[in-house]
Amino acid sequence: MVLAVAILMGVSMAGQAPSPRPQVPGSEPKAPWKDATAGFAHVFPRDHASHPDYKIEWWYYTGNVKTTSGRRFGYQITFFRVGIDPAPANPSKWAIRDLYMTHLAVSDPSGRRYRYAEKLSRGGPGLAGARTDRYEVWNDRWMANLDGSRHLLRASSPQAAIELTLDEGKAPIIHGVNGISQKGALAGNASHYYSLTRMPTRGSITVDGERFEVTGDSWMDHEFGTSFLEEGQRGWDWLSMQLSDGRELMLYQLRRDDGSVDPRSSGTLVGADGKTRHFDVTAFTLTPGQASFKSKNGAVYPLEWSIAIPSEQLDLKVTTPLADQELSLERSTGVAYWEGMIDVGGTAAGRPITGSGYLEMTGYFGSLGRVLSGQ
Amino acid sequence: MRLFTQFILRPLAADKMRTATTILGVALGIAVVVAIQLTNASSIRGFETALETVAGKTAVEVVGTGGLDEDTLPSLNWLREYGVASPVIEGNAALVIGDLETLSRRDMEAVRVLGVDILRDMPFRDYQLLDVGQDRDTAVETAAPRGTAPPAPAPVPNVTTQQFLEILTDERSVVISEKLATRRGLVIGSQLRMMFGDRVNSYVIRGLLKNEGPARVLDGNFVLMDIAAAQLAFDRLGRIDRLDVLLTAGADVQGTLAAITARLPPELTAQPPSRRGQQVETMLAAFHANLTALSWIALIVGLFLVYNTVTISVVARRQEIGTLRALGLTRLKVLFLFLGEAAALAVAGIGVGLGLARLLADAAVAMTSATVSTIYIATAAAPPDLDWGHVWLATAMGLPLSLLAAAVPALEASQVQPTAAMRGNDTLDMRVRLRPAMLMAPLTVLALAFGLTQLGPVNGRPLYGYLSAFAIVIGTGLLVPAIMYGLARVSREALRRRLGVEGLLAHANLTSAIPRLSISVAALSVSLSMMVAIAIMIGSFRDTVVYWVGQTLQADLFVGPGIRPTVGQEPTLSPTVIEAVRRHPRVTAIDSFRNVDLVYEGKLTVLGAGTFSVVLDHGAVLFKSPANARDRVREAIGQDGVIISEAFSHKFGKREGDTLTLPTPKGLHGFQVAAVYYDYSNDRGVVIMDAGTFRRYYGDLAPSGLAAFLTPGSDPELVRMEILATLDEGHRAFIFSNWSLREEVLRVFDSTFAITYALELIAIVVAMLGVAGTLLALVLERRRELSLLRLTGANQDQVRKMVIIEAALIGAVSQGIGLVMGFALSMVLIYVINVQSFGWTIQFHMPTWFLIQASIAVVIATAVAGIYPARRAAQLVLSHEE
Repeated sequence: MVLAVAILMGVSMAGQAPSPRPQVPGSEPKAPWKDATAGFAHVFPRDHASHPDYKIEWWYYTGNVKTTSGRRFGYQITFFRVGIDPAPANPSKWAIRDLYMTHLAVSDPSGRRYRYAEKLSRGGPGLAGARTDRYEVWNDRWMANLDGSRHLLRASSPQAAIELTLDEGKAPIIHGVNGISQKGALAGNASHYYSLTRMPTRGSITVDGERFEVTGDSWMDHEFGTSFLEEGQRGWDWLSMQLSDGRELMLYQLRRDDGSVDPRSSGTLVGADGKTRHFDVTAFTLTPGQASFKSKNGAVYPLEWSIAIPSEQLDLKVTTPLADQELSLERSTGVAYWEGMIDVGGTAAGRPITGSGYLEMTGYFGSLGRVLSGQ
Repeated sequence: MRLFTQFILRPLAADKMRTATTILGVALGIAVVVAIQLTNASSIRGFETALETVAGKTAVEVVGTGGLDEDTLPSLNWLREYGVASPVIEGNAALVIGDLETLSRRDMEAVRVLGVDILRDMPFRDYQLLDVGQDRDTAVETAAPRGTAPPAPAPVPNVTTQQFLEILTDERSVVISEKLATRRGLVIGSQLRMMFGDRVNSYVIRGLLKNEGPARVLDGNFVLMDIAAAQLAFDRLGRIDRLDVLLTAGADVQGTLAAITARLPPELTAQPPSRRGQQVETMLAAFHANLTALSWIALIVGLFLVYNTVTISVVARRQEIGTLRALGLTRLKVLFLFLGEAAALAVAGIGVGLGLARLLADAAVAMTSATVSTIYIATAAAPPDLDWGHVWLATAMGLPLSLLAAAVPALEASQVQPTAAMRGNDTLDMRVRLRPAMLMAPLTVLALAFGLTQLGPVNGRPLYGYLSAFAIVIGTGLLVPAIMYGLARVSREALRRRLGVEGLLAHANLTSAIPRLSISVAALSVSLSMMVAIAIMIGSFRDTVVYWVGQTLQADLFVGPGIRPTVGQEPTLSPTVIEAVRRHPRVTAIDSFRNVDLVYEGKLTVLGAGTFSVVLDHGAVLFKSPANARDRVREAIGQDGVIISEAFSHKFGKREGDTLTLPTPKGLHGFQVAAVYYDYSNDRGVVIMDAGTFRRYYGDLAPSGLAAFLTPGSDPELVRMEILATLDEGHRAFIFSNWSLREEVLRVFDSTFAITYALELIAIVVAMLGVAGTLLALVLERRRELSLLRLTGANQDQVRKMVIIEAALIGAVSQGIGLVMGFALSMVLIYVINVQSFGWTIQFHMPTWFLIQASIAVVIATAVAGIYPARRAAQLVLSHEE
């Protein structure tokens, strides 16, 4: 769900002082962006496309893939759209309605390599954008789009590149309750959130100019809303995984400033048949283990997690094959988070189960306080 | 060496007046040449420094006529393969300082505005944000009053690109240089008013930049905006000025440039940023070349003085030379002795000249910067400092030329026969007796001068024209002794009758001194002839322009933005102002025009759009060819026809019927030339197309000016005031009435040639110094005769009068020769040099009254130059009884 990045950007831009252009007295500025509200009905493939009425939107893909010889790779590509001003006064095409940020990362555990790159652009005259009539989001020459029922991902930088074709696989599943995923105490602090949880994937991954043909499974998140976190929420830990028994699991836990778990934490279990089960904060525990990774910027990320979902008799242990999978973009956006491939082992109703997936840890570097107080 | 000290330096030191005049003459010559170098450099340097400062790390830029259509940018995405591309809007705005009501062009300070997408542009230029104004509300309240220094801003080391973007996002946000903020007492949160074209906008300062990178441009007058805000401010929505490209580290610039060029559509050009500097340099080349040529006149006159001095020195010391030769001094050593004298004079002259150059350069820059910025480019009006290059230039020019000038007399000294010279019966008269051979050389040179005028330009420069002028100068100079002998024969009686015995004596003295005097007279004639030539040329030119202005300035009012257009910057009029003019009840028709820079065959020219029908109906263009130009132009409307200026026609060898292939945003396209018209406002060359044609190819660009026609009987001044009164405070236009624009045109014209007269005046001053020096030498030499005169009853007044008559006669003769030579030179200037450098047709016009006045002034001035020698002559007799 990659919230931190979008929040950091969106909220701080919203904190911008109002422009000196005259305001008509008595006319209250209308709420510029639409809130995510209960009862939203997702329709596909329409809802793959962009929802520019909402302030924040992202398309997120991660995957665990391997070559025919069995060499493992992980990848992440996320296209963010962050609304800045729904109707800029300046008629210039360069006036910033939305900012587009794209993160690309490739993990190569056997080569001990983690490579990433980013794009930060305004829409401008077609430099970056997200279509509303069909699914196509691009940033410079990086692009994700729908070709029939296939998702095509293309992005290239000197350090890392991907060229992947993803089948939708299992049908999209909607997170949360009644079409919204609640993130804060206030009604509007929520998002519309769905996932494609097991997408058969093939294509190529390039690391430092070395190209590998790969196949595997991917996970896609598409989330949009206007207001997400609230004061006192420091960050979160989020996981997605494909289990060996044909099920998939998504969990996230919001951490508060005092270290406690925020009650809005939740999760979704997808059955082999595609049926979903929603968990609220009481239904699961997510606990960090001993091993950790200390980043150059001082952030310390736990590298082991234990998951317990008593109602499903699930007990899982999460580890990672590569410690340093931190995406640090301090120069451009000041954002740093850990986003990397994980291995899962444990038991389901007493029987051994394995899996692989992605783990995201945010709010370990700096504080979300400054930007959040703007809301 | 001791001999040199005793034989050369001591006499030089003793004869202070003559030595000083010679050194001053050389010094002025050197100073003028170096000063013009400095001045020429300053106009280009200002542009190039600004260009480099803003270009930052940009290796390649992509440009097009009238900028690039922003919608083509996605199709240029492949530039990614070579590096990062950043779209740029750049231009000049005026910082509005005082009260808007009383605003004039003087109350505005030029600032360079750069509009970029900071997300892309960050690696291109060295932006160092000092303060991003976290707490803006407080900043507004604590804004320091004007004139007081704001508290030193604290550097913000870790500003992210996104934070940088945040402070620029709003269309009224700017970031300015710390230097500008300090100078103007501005802080973060302060309001800043800037004028773009005819629009005055208010901005809020959101951040300060350390004086690094682009913030150093124009001494810190730098304003950074978001590209969207800049497009809006400059009225360039839909376009960008250029695309800067930062190549991938280690890329081969030339190779990449070629690769990019090969993939670009033909209407776009990839070039190194310095190319724009070179284009401006080329554009100014003709203007600079003429100034340089003019500056050499002063130097040549200075060198005449060296020749003069060494000659006098040789003449005066023939006996001593004879003695030295008899004592065993070799001819070579004699030669070196006198060359040494020239070298000593030259070195001293160069030293003084370099010192003077800087002073003259300041004056010259002040005189030319108005021209350069009015006609060509906005420039920083300060000449560069003298460097070793200039010292080298002065030495490399001054020393060899001085030695060359001294070579003739020095060689002659080395030829002195010891015995004859010691006996004293070896005289100089032999050298200058009128012989046919004396006429042969100058006549050959003059014939050559005529031949040279028939040759075409070399690389667009009137090289043979300059040579021809030079040949006229040399030929006439060589002819001077013959002319003087001739005059001496016919003028004796006249002088006796008019001026009595003093006149007769003066005639006798001058006649006997012709060998020595010829040099001074030649020098003075040369500088006077240049004055005459330039007076004729400028007079003719001005007359032509007055006629042209009368024919072409037909509209009653001319409306322009508050900012002058310069290369790459075309300020525009906004619809509000155009409407205000159109709506006025007395306005019957308006013709709007728009100019963009056009690079044609690698040269900067101008592409303009005008309304052909209005132009034809109101006769606002003077056509040169063909005869039925008006019909041809009417046919050209809607047919992609263009008209070209005489300068363009001349520069590129195009004429009616030819086709020009011009880059348009829609690709290369051919336009047929319908007619050639006269245009004295611009020597770059102009192509004009009908507004409709222009719009079809280049899009709907806001006009850069308009001409309005009023109902008959309207008072233009009143209409002007009424239109100005309807403009709100966000708009400022400059409106000229027909009459005031004509005045303005002639004011610009006259200021353009102010430097020409100034340079000429210096040459004349140098020549006058020569006359005074020569007369003084003659006086000193004639001590015995003068004493004899006094003994035989002449009083002081008579002696004084005689010398002053001599001086005035020299002036009269010189001016007479100068008038004839000047007439010849003016022909070369008007029909060869001007045509070849600028492509202008100038109608010949003799400024008779001016020439009569000037001639009288010259005779009086030379008489004045004779006063000091005359007084010395009168005193000498009393103090040196021999």
